[in-house]
Amino acid sequence: MLVNLDPNDVRPLYLQIMDEVRRALVIGTLHENDPLPSVRELSSQLLINPRTVSQAYQELEREGVIFVRRGHGTFVSPDSRPDEEQRRALRQGVARRVLLETRRNGISVDELMESILELVAREDSLASASESPYQDAES
Amino acid sequence: MKAGPDVATTTAVKTIALTKRYGRDEALSGVDLQVPREAVYVLVGANGAGKSTLFQILMNMVRADSGVATVFGMDSAVQGPEVRAHIGYVPEYHVLPYRQSSGRQLIDHVSQYYPTWDHAYAARLVAALELCTQKRIAALSKGEARRLQLLLALAHRPPVLLLDEPTDGLDPVIRNRSLTLLAEHLADAPTTLLMSTHHIHEVERLADHVGILRSGRLIAQLSRDVLRRTVKRYRIEVPAEWEASAMLRAIDIQRSSDRREVRVKIVAEEEVAVERLIQSGAEVREVSALSLEDATLAILAAETGR
Repeated sequence: MLVNLDPNDVRPLYLQIMDEVRRALVIGTLHENDPLPSVRELSSQLLINPRTVSQAYQELEREGVIFVRRGHGTFVSPDSRPDEEQRRALRQGVARRVLLETRRNGISVDELMESILELVAREDSLASASESPYQDAES
Repeated sequence: MKAGPDVATTTAVKTIALTKRYGRDEALSGVDLQVPREAVYVLVGANGAGKSTLFQILMNMVRADSGVATVFGMDSAVQGPEVRAHIGYVPEYHVLPYRQSSGRQLIDHVSQYYPTWDHAYAARLVAALELCTQKRIAALSKGEARRLQLLLALAHRPPVLLLDEPTDGLDPVIRNRSLTLLAEHLADAPTTLLMSTHHIHEVERLADHVGILRSGRLIAQLSRDVLRRTVKRYRIEVPAEWEASAMLRAIDIQRSSDRREVRVKIVAEEEVAVERLIQSGAEVREVSALSLEDATLAILAAETGR
């Protein structure tokens, strides 16, 4: 699992780390019983305060997403399959960011939905045109 | 009265009404610094704002005119040696003693003073900082001297680190490695870190407390989260005749040529700022967070503007 932090994100850093772990679970780069990077590893890798990493891990442990085996490290809980709740938390985060960007560009939600559906339809038709999957959609 | 260190205290480094004058200049006036235990506290301010003087008083290398400076409850002016034994210090200047000795001789000499000296760690630091320990101290470049100072400060694993611009004079590769070493150091043992820097972006995610010194006064002292919450950038749309009122406490006002689009930084809680903006006739389009550096600069600008 690689953790990405966004300096312009308004969320406190420990929340960003928590969301990154959830994201890894949902997209499947992190599985049950997998080890998480140690506090030391993650803090030196990201030049982030070790206490911030500890805080994120403690919260995740409290939520039952991960567990600590003293002297062995931190692991993903066996029963922490990305459930509906985690997917929803992640989904809402994405929606919030998209909405922010939408408003910043003075676009209505309806217009945004329309464009998203257009894009999806175009991708689908590209995927079905199996002879030349890399063909430019405009040509 | 003398007492041992109070390592359970919640405030590891504390000054009360600390004042220091050099002639007619007030280097520090009424500084109440509070560094929580195990915090990474970054002290910022222009050259001559008083950062180094504050460190020197904490080390009892300089006497305050009035006020008190304590480390783990021990008064620096009364228990100088005990206080210094608990501190790893990198001074402002890149000057080391024993200029005719080699780096190795200096390391061996300094290690004698600290029962907690970690020889294996010191060896790792020599390698990580690419120190050439055969070289005479007098022949060290500015950057080499800095790296040696860092090693001497870290290798006895003190409970408090006082680093006065620790990355000053380091090349980008070593600077980055030093910050990594610092993060590992903090992860390995509970340490309170008080550092000054002109490069806040370097410690963007390491710092959890920020103190701002201006002309000897500590004009702000707050946690990272509070700082990022109370200073934000707003993009608003306004009528062309709109003017920023003083009560907005707006800084860095940028305006489009048709005067209808405005970008501004405001020092206030977001709800308060948004309410004031709406009252002033503005429509808030976007609220964004600032980097630690930009937030700090905004506070400095807001305080100076008054």
